Amino acid sequence: MIEALDIVLQNGEAMSPEAAENLSVGYAEAAAAIAVGLAALAAGYAERGIGAAAVGAIAEDDDMFVPGLIMTVLPETLVILALVVVFIVG
Amino acid sequence: MSLGASNPEYVNARVRSRRASLFADEDYRKLIRMGPSEIARFMEETEYEREINALGTRFSGVDLIEYALNRNLAKHFEDLLDWSEGRLYDLVSRYLRKFDVMNLKTIIRGIYTETDPEEVQTDLIRAGELDDRTIDRLLDVDTIEDAVEVVSGTIFYESLSDAHEEYEETGALVPLENALDREFYEHLLEDVSRSPGRTQPQEGPEARYIEFLQAEIDFRNARNALRLARSGADLDPAAYYIEGGVLFDASDLNRLVGDYDALVDHIAENKRYGDRLSGALGRLREADSLIQFEHALDAALLQYADTLSSIYPASVSAVLSYILAKEREVENIRAIARGREVGLSESEIEEELVIL
Repeated sequence: MIEALDIVLQNGEAMSPEAAENLSVGYAEAAAAIAVGLAALAAGYAERGIGAAAVGAIAEDDDMFVPGLIMTVLPETLVILALVVVFIVG
Repeated sequence: MSLGASNPEYVNARVRSRRASLFADEDYRKLIRMGPSEIARFMEETEYEREINALGTRFSGVDLIEYALNRNLAKHFEDLLDWSEGRLYDLVSRYLRKFDVMNLKTIIRGIYTETDPEEVQTDLIRAGELDDRTIDRLLDVDTIEDAVEVVSGTIFYESLSDAHEEYEETGALVPLENALDREFYEHLLEDVSRSPGRTQPQEGPEARYIEFLQAEIDFRNARNALRLARSGADLDPAAYYIEGGVLFDASDLNRLVGDYDALVDHIAENKRYGDRLSGALGRLREADSLIQFEHALDAALLQYADTLSSIYPASVSAVLSYILAKEREVENIRAIARGREVGLSESEIEEELVIL
């Protein structure tokens, strides 16, 4: 993507078809990166509440450790699904 | 008012787990058939184990049960205050302050009757906001004046010191106790409703919690009014009126205390409580005992709090429902133990219990 931008900056003229394609691939990759990042942020936010509740439950009853752990990492699926976007775009 | 984020998820998880370990209704049926020492043994096998063991050498029988219950209650409610942060702490503590009021009253009465501090100490329920150090200092002082000085810096100081002047003139404890109650109820709704610059929340868990606190005030007023109407005592009802409720205003109360039926009608006509309490009010009309009515009130509140805690899972509602359920458990066990001690029959004890 940076290459593509450089070309645009240096030439300042109409882009060659090659440069235009480079640019579009660059944008697509940037979009995928943002998507994954946002998904990770959302997962983190969701895990905040669940983790707090899980720690509370474990404090009362040790047997809750495994269910608590599972519940806490469930929102990670968000990030995994978002990773799919990277492969589709890439 | 404490600052910082509140943590309802954590507190909720812990509270729900503890809620699940409370006695079930079948346990009460078992307990009703036991004598005091059997009840103590039964409690030793449940979560009261530590308290029963700690106190078992010093007390026996019903006293042992009573003190173990108080201590356990204090432990759990103290935990609630430890866990909660931010807004949640604010909401929980304003209700649990009623134990501060209770403790202060006990201590003041202890000083007044010159009871041994050791004995006073066993009667305290250390569940409120006052820390152990303050309470220990209160137990050490010899005069009420010094006791008032010890609580300087708490919300009770100002009204207590005003009431103390009155106490010096009359020598009666009533002004001091009224001052404590009044201070408690005034702070109950402080910052959450009807204060300038802040609008009262209309929906959501906090609005319901405020509704509950208002109900607490309303029921307190209703109880006082019913008792006054029943006993026919020549007291000024306005002196006992607590502001902040929605059921009565001061003039209503003055008018209704003279007329028992009109008072019951007034409660039944209120749209917030009329439907929920219709059963209890029916019984009250038949001139049954006030105790029945009060138990019906408790049961109605408890059920309402349970409903709320499933509607708003991550809010103060679950904590509230736990507090009510725990109080009910302690009161029920105490009623059973005391009832067995004086030899009441099983059905008579059952009437004293709040069972859903």
